Amino acid sequence: MVDKQDLTTLNRPDPLCKRCGENPSTHRIRSEQVCQKCFGQYITTKAVKRIETYRVRGSAKVARKLLLPLSFGASSASLVHILDRHLQGQYDRMNRVTYELYIVHIDLDIDDEDRETSSMLLEKYKARYPRHTYSSIGLEEVLNLQIIDWNNLGLPHPPSTDPQKPGMERLKVLIRSIPSTTSRVDIISTLLSRLLVEAARTSGCECILFGDSTTRLAEKTLTETAKGRGFSLPWQVSDGMSPYGIGFSYPLRDVLKQELLSFCSLTTPPLTDLIIYQEPSSHVSSSSKLTTIDDLMTQYFQSVEENYPSIVANVVRTSSKLKPLSMDGTAACGLCGLPVEEGTDGIFGWGGDQNPDARPARENEHHGILCYGCSRSING
Amino acid sequence: MSPALCAMCRASRALIIRPKNHQKLCKACFIAIFEAEIHHTITSTNLFSPGDRIAIGASGGKDSTVLASVLKTLNERYNYGLDLVLLSIDEGIKGYRDDSLETVKRNAVQYGMPLKIVGYDELYGWTMDQVVETIGKKGNCTYCGVFRRQALDRGAKMLGIKHVVTGHNADDVAETILMNLLRGDLPRLARSTNIITGDEMSEVKRSKPLKYAYEKEIVLYAHHKKLDYFSTECIYSPEAFRGSARSLIKNLERVRPSAILDVVRSGEDMARLVPEEVTGISQCKSQKISLSNADGGDEGAGGCGSSNGRSSGGEMAEMEKKLQQDEEAAGREVEITSVSSHANGQRHDRIGGKSHLRSRAQGDTGRKLLRQTLGTCKRCGYMSSQEICKACVLLDGLNKNRPKMEIEIDVEDEESSTLRRRMEGIALAAG
Ligand SMILES: [Zn+2]
Ligand SMILES: [Zn+2]
Ligand SMILES: [Zn+2]
Ligand SMILES: [Zn+2]
Repeated sequence: MVDKQDLTTLNRPDPLCKRCGENPSTHRIRSEQVCQKCFGQYITTKAVKRIETYRVRGSAKVARKLLLPLSFGASSASLVHILDRHLQGQYDRMNRVTYELYIVHIDLDIDDEDRETSSMLLEKYKARYPRHTYSSIGLEEVLNLQIIDWNNLGLPHPPSTDPQKPGMERLKVLIRSIPSTTSRVDIISTLLSRLLVEAARTSGCECILFGDSTTRLAEKTLTETAKGRGFSLPWQVSDGMSPYGIGFSYPLRDVLKQELLSFCSLTTPPLTDLIIYQEPSSHVSSSSKLTTIDDLMTQYFQSVEENYPSIVANVVRTSSKLKPLSMDGTAACGLCGLPVEEGTDGIFGWGGDQNPDARPARENEHHGILCYGCSRSING
Repeated sequence: MSPALCAMCRASRALIIRPKNHQKLCKACFIAIFEAEIHHTITSTNLFSPGDRIAIGASGGKDSTVLASVLKTLNERYNYGLDLVLLSIDEGIKGYRDDSLETVKRNAVQYGMPLKIVGYDELYGWTMDQVVETIGKKGNCTYCGVFRRQALDRGAKMLGIKHVVTGHNADDVAETILMNLLRGDLPRLARSTNIITGDEMSEVKRSKPLKYAYEKEIVLYAHHKKLDYFSTECIYSPEAFRGSARSLIKNLERVRPSAILDVVRSGEDMARLVPEEVTGISQCKSQKISLSNADGGDEGAGGCGSSNGRSSGGEMAEMEKKLQQDEEAAGREVEITSVSSHANGQRHDRIGGKSHLRSRAQGDTGRKLLRQTLGTCKRCGYMSSQEICKACVLLDGLNKNRPKMEIEIDVEDEESSTLRRRMEGIALAAG
């Protein structure tokens, strides 16, 4: 991780903050040299402004419930911190708050030991930000969702085949049966968002506040495009109502990843011990070879962000202009649940699939509706 | 270890792993399926009608050579009833096209197709060598690029042909989609996904029958069919955005072979999500056929010939600078714009008249979507968003600098009238 603080203090002739003119400048906001305080304010304002545009019309008497997915990454940790301070501010001023946070960690760990670590970490959050409701849900819970018809997805090993086995075991079998690492990562993140939406629904949250930074949204734009999920971009990068009837919001959409990383070290106390830093790909394979599309895009945008931060932001602005089509004549994808237009489901039978003879044998069997992206990940 | 059998015929030995899906095939089955897929693309998009005269944009490279070979095969096998012609452009750079034009000439004999080579001098009154002589080496890429964009269409018009097919493949299309995401150009992204570009307004339509064919499979096909093509590394370094997109596509293919096809599919789906206020094209109109290459840059870049291409990276740095200035300017304004919710209701305020189709949003930084009117160049009749197209503007500049020894009437009028005369001649030939 590059520390901007060191870089800027070394080669800066003018040591004073460009914004307040009082403190020495330690950080950079695009082309401006600013002090620590102004930098923190800048990040906070960016996020809070987004939240405030999303305020309820009419009765603000009842606080709205918003779900915040916590991955223990720098972004969601920052979002928890910023919104906690924001709520504290509301409370101090008006003795009430306009929204409440339901903070949910979806546990992707397979080993009991790792699960122990993450529940301990969650306890740290509870201790530091006690105002909110917390919950940890294991990914295997997704197998209990009634909304997914597991037998109808064309999976080689539907998890329902041995119902007596523990959920974790069945999930492992399911994930292992997916043909490639990219597809596995894709399916896991799809299941994760279904679980989040269901958690929002059952807990009465009207909206999910995702912690994605500008950089992450740019990565997502290209990742989803590369996975054949271009059709889903309007819901993956824009604020608005999702087809699930739950709002999606990205309050950190105007903050770069690197800016969030810097932010985490200047709160008091720093957020650093609340965060699990993950090097892309390090956990998947020992070699430095990029193994998934997600890793590839993470690495790509890391370098673009360094030199061309505005281009990163422009990618997100661009993909955010895509508008969802009307839901008429659509059916929900059996796995991701997003609307699929009639006749456009699956990876077969479109312009780019020219010849039935070219298909590997297995996939001709009949199953329910799948979107192109889900079908690609299941069928390879 | 017994040799694997071909997954299709299950009789011959599998010798080829298909780049597209890693299926193991024998040579005959690979060739058969490669051709069958292009046949499928052609028939499912109703690309041709019997009796059509089709110009194949031929550079002597692998893509256009494979395209010519496959089209000849399919035309005979399925009785398309097409009249196929090879059309090559000679930029007029001494030595540069010699080898590739020789290849095209051999192809013409091998495939029994008529060949027409059109020079920049014929089309524009200038060879690239003359351009370089006049303006120097710096900046001549601009000329070459702008001239090239129109050259095939102008050449086809000279031949009275209304449909040019090019060798753009799935890799090119995928690359263009990613490139336009990176540079924030949704209208172009939408256009590039269409198999046909150009509509009733443009006299020459263009299409890419190899749109779904992987570059690696094109190379394999050329190899196994022992096609005679000119293989040379393109000495033109692609602009930064395209170069960036190109290496992404290569890496994606390595991670997941289907990714190229998946990007193309995403692009097709996303094209329909681009709102009207961005494209300026009403959704109910032209789902399939889109505006053409008027402003260029939609298609993969070709070689330029002059080795002093612009420094790559410069383009991205330039855009970064412009975006930053816009951001700073916007930051100084009072923020009035709030997060726009998904507005329903399409706007249908089309500008009346056939010749006014609104086109791309240019220099768009998100806040304001500038609209352009797409019409035709007053000078040459080629599609253009400006009154005078880029090529004609450049020609004006060149002609002002034309050395004195040439007979000097009013240079500007002379040139444009030659061009007009030529265009009229073409119109007659076409009619
Ligand atoms: Zn300051
Ligand atoms: Zn799906
Ligand atoms: Zn075979
Ligand atoms: Zn013109």
